[in-house]
Amino acid sequence: MNSIRVKFVRGEEVKYISHLDMMKLFERAARRSNLSISYSQGFNPHPNMVFGLPLSVGVTSESEYADFELSYFMEPHEFLKQFNSNLPDGLKIIDAMEKNTKANIMATIAVADYIVLVSSDKTYNMDHINVVISNIMSKDQILVSKESKKGKKDVDIRPMIHSIKAIMTDDLDNSSDAGDINNENLIINPFMLNYIKGLYKYEPGILSYNVKNLFCISAKLSAGSKSNLKPELLISAFNLLSDMELNLVKVHRTGLYIERESRILDPMSQDALS
Amino acid sequence: MINKISDEILLSVEKPSRYTGNEWNSVKKDISDIKIRFAFCFPDVYEVGMSHLGMKILYHLINKRDDAYCERVFAPWVDMEAKMREKNIPLFTLETKSPVKDFDILGFTLQYEMCYTNILNVLDLSGIPALSSDRTNEHPFVCAGGPCAYNPEPLAEFMDFFVLGEGEEVLNDILDAYSLWKDQSASREDFLDRISKIEGVYVPSFYDIKYKEDGTIEKFIPKKKDYPQVIKKRIIKDLDNTFFPEEIIVPFTDIVHDRVMLELFRGCIRGCRFCQAGFIYRPVRERSTEKLSDTAKKLIDSSGYDEISLTSLSTSDYTNLPDLTDKLIEEMEKRKVNLSLPSLRIDSFSLDLMEKAQKVRKSGLTFAPEAGTQRLRDVINKGVTEEDLIKSATLAFSGGWSGVKLYFMMGLPTETMEDVEGIADLGNKVVDAYMSVPKEKRGKGLNITISTSFFVPKPFTPFQWEPQDSIEAFTEKQKALKSRIKNKYISYNWHDSKLSLLEAVFARGDRRLCKVLLKAWEKGCKFDAWGEHFKFDDWMEAFLENGVDVHFYANRKRSYDEILPWDHIDIGVSKDFFIKEMEKAKAEELTPNCRMGCSGCGAAFFEGGVCIE
Repeated sequence: MNSIRVKFVRGEEVKYISHLDMMKLFERAARRSNLSISYSQGFNPHPNMVFGLPLSVGVTSESEYADFELSYFMEPHEFLKQFNSNLPDGLKIIDAMEKNTKANIMATIAVADYIVLVSSDKTYNMDHINVVISNIMSKDQILVSKESKKGKKDVDIRPMIHSIKAIMTDDLDNSSDAGDINNENLIINPFMLNYIKGLYKYEPGILSYNVKNLFCISAKLSAGSKSNLKPELLISAFNLLSDMELNLVKVHRTGLYIERESRILDPMSQDALS
Repeated sequence: MINKISDEILLSVEKPSRYTGNEWNSVKKDISDIKIRFAFCFPDVYEVGMSHLGMKILYHLINKRDDAYCERVFAPWVDMEAKMREKNIPLFTLETKSPVKDFDILGFTLQYEMCYTNILNVLDLSGIPALSSDRTNEHPFVCAGGPCAYNPEPLAEFMDFFVLGEGEEVLNDILDAYSLWKDQSASREDFLDRISKIEGVYVPSFYDIKYKEDGTIEKFIPKKKDYPQVIKKRIIKDLDNTFFPEEIIVPFTDIVHDRVMLELFRGCIRGCRFCQAGFIYRPVRERSTEKLSDTAKKLIDSSGYDEISLTSLSTSDYTNLPDLTDKLIEEMEKRKVNLSLPSLRIDSFSLDLMEKAQKVRKSGLTFAPEAGTQRLRDVINKGVTEEDLIKSATLAFSGGWSGVKLYFMMGLPTETMEDVEGIADLGNKVVDAYMSVPKEKRGKGLNITISTSFFVPKPFTPFQWEPQDSIEAFTEKQKALKSRIKNKYISYNWHDSKLSLLEAVFARGDRRLCKVLLKAWEKGCKFDAWGEHFKFDDWMEAFLENGVDVHFYANRKRSYDEILPWDHIDIGVSKDFFIKEMEKAKAEELTPNCRMGCSGCGAAFFEGGVCIE
């Protein structure tokens, strides 16, 4: 009997699965793998597994986490191997570690990294975008209207923005992307890079935006149950505080971190697991 | 592959997972190695289509062949359709996102009449001409099978061919013939000619229909001598030794029946006189307990589902049910898998079984007395008495159940107001049965639901000659019943009589309905079975504009000697048997079930199942 934390990737093929369906998928994959995940007691037993932070429909991620309680002992690498052979294309566990703390992943998530692909009304150069970013970061307060089940309300998102940076997509049309790969202002994340290349292949008239007017924003934002900022709201702040008109094209999560005794930790680090 | 289905489009529609494919156990093949590309279409939305067992069987059956690749297609929901039309995106398959138009064969499964407009919409979205006569070698062959194919005539002009009966064998025969034909680059007609010789295949364009002045059929004429005069359905004699998939696709999103379906048997021994399924699937053939428990285990292993459902027309009639359920419960409990048991007759065995199998709340039980009086239940050969029902209900209430659903049909042949009122009376007696159980034994919160549907006379039943009640008569009966249900524990639901009227028209329709169907679709009719999309007035206009009278099809009594539009189809059950059954219905006489004794329906011809036991 042990607990295992896994880190997994959610790719393009499975990005439309809702959080609830994703949990169902993992339960079924576990049954296919004959992995003995323990079940809760009671009238309606459910598997003891906890996921980090739900992903919105359409969002991909290279760092998702989930904790599983097992009913008998299993080596994490064996768990990973068996699980992976029963996951559909697009889902892959890339790391598994034994977890020795009671603290579960969901309760401790505090920060998330995103790369957000946006389309703009026209082509802006890097300097222009950086001025907007400095402006955003210099504010003490940014009130953005947020829609919830109870209705609209203004929230101050400034404290939830830890850092933001603009990244250009360059001209992927030329497919000579190898040249400037060291340029730190160019997109190099393979997930996003592939995605953008895919956009260039669409037939004319299908996309509502011009692929030449795309750029990325990488952002570190508050995440989790205490305070959570979705990239959508960050983009609203851009539109609010600049002359640019940005539309969100795609969100890709690159990192999730937990907080423990005021320290921000990688969920797979020994400090996080013990 | 179509490079047009963008994320922007998918994010703007409901449930994008309907269109993305890639589910667990979906089959991936390299299309460059494939000789026959088969697009299998269930003409409704993904969640409905993916719940259909027949599609699961045939999908994996075809994909077992190295030379063929079966891919799935569903009717896109209206939001997606709008995007596809706006962006000029042709209908595509889920597996490879290829245009349906590029396939060799497009096969539809016909599960209910009210999906027919969806078929025309699917053809249109695919860029395939609706009329088979307009298709060329550039287009796929379009075919259809399933229960509604037993009266194929209302779709005759749209289908290149129909497949009658169970598909497991005949489909392979057709694909073999296709493979040969493709090598020879012969004409389209040549292929149809070849397969018309395969038992179970019907090519409607090879026949002419001559009508009498009164609108009834004078003659069904094969255009050539060697076209079969009668087309016989195909069945699988031995279900144990036929293909049943050991893996099934596990969708990413909730579907209607989101579980493993284990088919216990085909057919039904009962012979209720209104029920088409009870006749077209004859003879009753069971799978063995050993085979079933083995298949169940494999399906759970390969799917990971947490629920398995026993499916058949009447689960309680499976001969070895106690043994089977014991085995399954033992195996499934270990793996946290629930067993669900639809279509059970409620008795002490089944109540006990449900308690063992299902760890869910004791919510609702379903009874289907179908008619309100014993007289009418005898007419329809529903071998259930009021005493049976009250005994079962009392037993259920004593066991802690408190919710009961009662299903009835209105407009059955010979029905009078007395029978209609009997429905309410029966409801009251079920309330009395609850009250007769001591408070400490029965569950809290009695809740009885009476649901009535309107009787739709179907081909290949003893009632195939009977008129359907008019909408006015339905409304009157339904109001009468409503006013008679006064008990606060009983709630009452009823179906839309207009939809039932259309069902009756198409169930017993002939080729002259093809143009009506086309017109209705042109007027925007689709998803007719989805209340919010049903456009009755447009339908009525379509009939009017084509000079076709709905009442001729729905509300007319046929004589026994009339040539019926489906008379050239042979399901194995003889017309003489249906006439005998109709006469017995009038005389309120019961016919014993197939296990009590053979009534000589004709299905013994197939030499299978209960007929040779």
